[in-house]
Amino acid sequence: MKKLVSVLLALLLAIGMMSFASADEPLVVSVLLPEFTMDVDFVAENNPVLDAIEQATGVRLQITWAPNENYGDILNTTMADKDLPMLIAATDARSPLIINSARAGAFWDLTDYVNDAANYPNLALGDPQIYNNISVDGRIYGIYRTRNYPRGGAYYRSDIAKQAGFDKEVKTIDDLTELAEALAKVSEDTYALNMCSYTAGTISFITVAFGAPNNWGVDENGNIYPAHLSPAYLEGLNWLRHLYEIGGIDPNFAQISTNDWNDIERTGKAFMRFDCLDNAYRQQEWFESNVEGVTETIWAQVGPLAKADGSITIWPQNPGFSGEILVTKSVKEEDMEKVMKFIDWCNSDAGISLLNLGVENATYWVGEDGYRIDISKLPEDEYNEKSNAGKQYLHDLNQLNMGVSYHAVEPAMKLSESRQRFADLNVELAPYAVLDPCYPLVSQTNVDYGAQLSPIIADAAVQYIAGIIDEDGLRAAWADWAAQGGDAMTQEYNEAYHASLGK
Amino acid sequence: MTTRAAERRAIHGSGRNYWRRLGNEVRRDKWLYVLLLPGLIYFIVFKYLPMFGIVIAFENYVPFSGVIGSEWVGFKWFNSFFRFPAWLTYLKNTLILSLMNIVFFFPAPIILALLLNEMRRQRYKKLLQTMLYVPHFISIVIVVSITFVMFGPSGIVYKATQNVLGHSINYMGSPDTFRWMIIGQTIWKETGWGTIIFLAALTNVDTQLYEAAMVDGAGRLRRLWHITLPAIRSTIVLMLILRMGSVLDTGYDHLILMANPLNRSASQTLDVFVYQQGIQQGQFSYASAIGLMKSIVSVTLVLTSNKIAHLLGEQGLY
Repeated sequence: MKKLVSVLLALLLAIGMMSFASADEPLVVSVLLPEFTMDVDFVAENNPVLDAIEQATGVRLQITWAPNENYGDILNTTMADKDLPMLIAATDARSPLIINSARAGAFWDLTDYVNDAANYPNLALGDPQIYNNISVDGRIYGIYRTRNYPRGGAYYRSDIAKQAGFDKEVKTIDDLTELAEALAKVSEDTYALNMCSYTAGTISFITVAFGAPNNWGVDENGNIYPAHLSPAYLEGLNWLRHLYEIGGIDPNFAQISTNDWNDIERTGKAFMRFDCLDNAYRQQEWFESNVEGVTETIWAQVGPLAKADGSITIWPQNPGFSGEILVTKSVKEEDMEKVMKFIDWCNSDAGISLLNLGVENATYWVGEDGYRIDISKLPEDEYNEKSNAGKQYLHDLNQLNMGVSYHAVEPAMKLSESRQRFADLNVELAPYAVLDPCYPLVSQTNVDYGAQLSPIIADAAVQYIAGIIDEDGLRAAWADWAAQGGDAMTQEYNEAYHASLGK
Repeated sequence: MTTRAAERRAIHGSGRNYWRRLGNEVRRDKWLYVLLLPGLIYFIVFKYLPMFGIVIAFENYVPFSGVIGSEWVGFKWFNSFFRFPAWLTYLKNTLILSLMNIVFFFPAPIILALLLNEMRRQRYKKLLQTMLYVPHFISIVIVVSITFVMFGPSGIVYKATQNVLGHSINYMGSPDTFRWMIIGQTIWKETGWGTIIFLAALTNVDTQLYEAAMVDGAGRLRRLWHITLPAIRSTIVLMLILRMGSVLDTGYDHLILMANPLNRSASQTLDVFVYQQGIQQGQFSYASAIGLMKSIVSVTLVLTSNKIAHLLGEQGLY
């Protein structure tokens, strides 16, 4: 009996030793990320990308994926739990829950790390303006996820336009009108502009092109006012309303799901769209690989649009970033340095490339010319195998990419004409981007009733475009918005805006 | 009230006397009380203890700080709601939908149960009943999708009305039709399931009564009016009282699925408000406060309607 006990004790001791001897074990970091790839499951075991990250940083990522479609809801319910993942991708850096939780101390204050250029050189390269935009009470709680400003834009089927008698480059709003009218006439069952139930992007694009502010504007007296009070906003809506009247927009657009948005273009039912410009080259690539005979660029991307007076304003689609990566208090204090080193590494040359491309010969392949191979050009079997590997191992890890250092992704792919055009336009359009001055500001009314108030303006715009209400109805909706809290919101933003200027 | 209190005193005695009697009873029937224990524990652990969470309605609740650590703000959220100028619209939408539900949906299962009860062929009746239960098990997401396929702009019903009336009715995209679509879907989905409780009540009717009525020359309608309906009257009243408790409940999933920019104004109810604040905005305290308010109204309505039922000579809930 005694012998048995001692053997057991020895065994226990051995097990204990084993767990103590884990100093070389990687630090496991749990992460919550939005998921876009739904058709192939992520593989965490023997994953070459995760292995490479572990080798480079000593951090083993343990990822929880949440579908992007309702990521906001999932994030909010996750936050209701005290046991948070260590890193969280917050897609909306200004949500009340994130701000309240930051104030309550749910996240580590990263201000000192960001300012410590000696130890965290990549984080220090970030844009101070954007760091300020996401700060809470002057402290930085997250590392923002960089996005190019001018992703918003217009693209159209140039081949169809040519057939319809429009064969020139779109340089002014008048050109755009001419193009839209030509596309509207193509046939009874097809439409010029592709719209669906998500209308915010389309409306923002056209109203800002006409000169309206992006959500909120600053008038000549330096006061904040809502975009719909600008006459240009109504001009933009009238443009859409006119196109709707002449049959250029599907009469039932408000009931079309966003899931069908791409298919409408792919089935040739609509020829133009105001949305993220990068979708133009995606559609181009889809047509090249799925429609026979498509070799030339048929999806043209519209550059800067001049108004009648020659000035140019464009809707940037995003404020230069999309949410942030937060470090929660689930990270122990002694691990903070390691975790922050990891985040800094994510923003390094190697980190950015690894998060976006993965590992060579596992998730991306390099050709003899030194350029990354575009796998969509490969034969179907090979393409399927390689794209599957990418979806399994890399999945949507680029959601963890912050890229505050603006390092380029290497190795580059030889850009197709369409992708090159997009890259060029990003540079060309950037100076014309109209930013929302209220983005970093907090209005209590917006926090309390934003979810109820914003649909009033958006829904009225849709009804006006569809001819259900006239201008009086539109103005009545605006008055309704103002009475229900819009005025209070304007006032609060003004106070916050002036306070931020005085600082 | 006084008579009922007196009644209770007569049965249980009062004060210390009451507790002594209870103690005696427990000792006498101890095994029965032991049987009761699991149920009692279940209710305490899963129903009563979580109710302490209600305090977050009076706090600025931040999950990280916890229920105890969060800032106490008193009635801030309640004030905030009533300061919101549109709160009346939300209440109005809720009440209209609920009222339509009571007027049009509530009687549907009763009528269907009565119809089923009149059927002669038992096997056919059983088959029909089973088929009627099926829609209840279809997810509301599917129901909405089916509706969209049929009533949407390219749907068969939409096209048919266009051909018959000469102009189209925008079933899925107008605030006027929104509520009718919701009620219609509810009737389609839940009527069959709702018959269960009434059919159960109908089986208790003494068949001798029918035979006697038949001998007296009562026709089908007479028998229905004088025998069947009185027999299930107390069940109907009971269901109505319970229904009153959920007058402010409209559910949110169904409404959100059916809403789009054209008809949203009719879909904004209190439950949708709770969803918007709680899940979309992450304002757990605000959502809890509105939910708590709804519950208080519900309890009040149940108690009041129960009282009215007593006054009208019905048995009511208890």
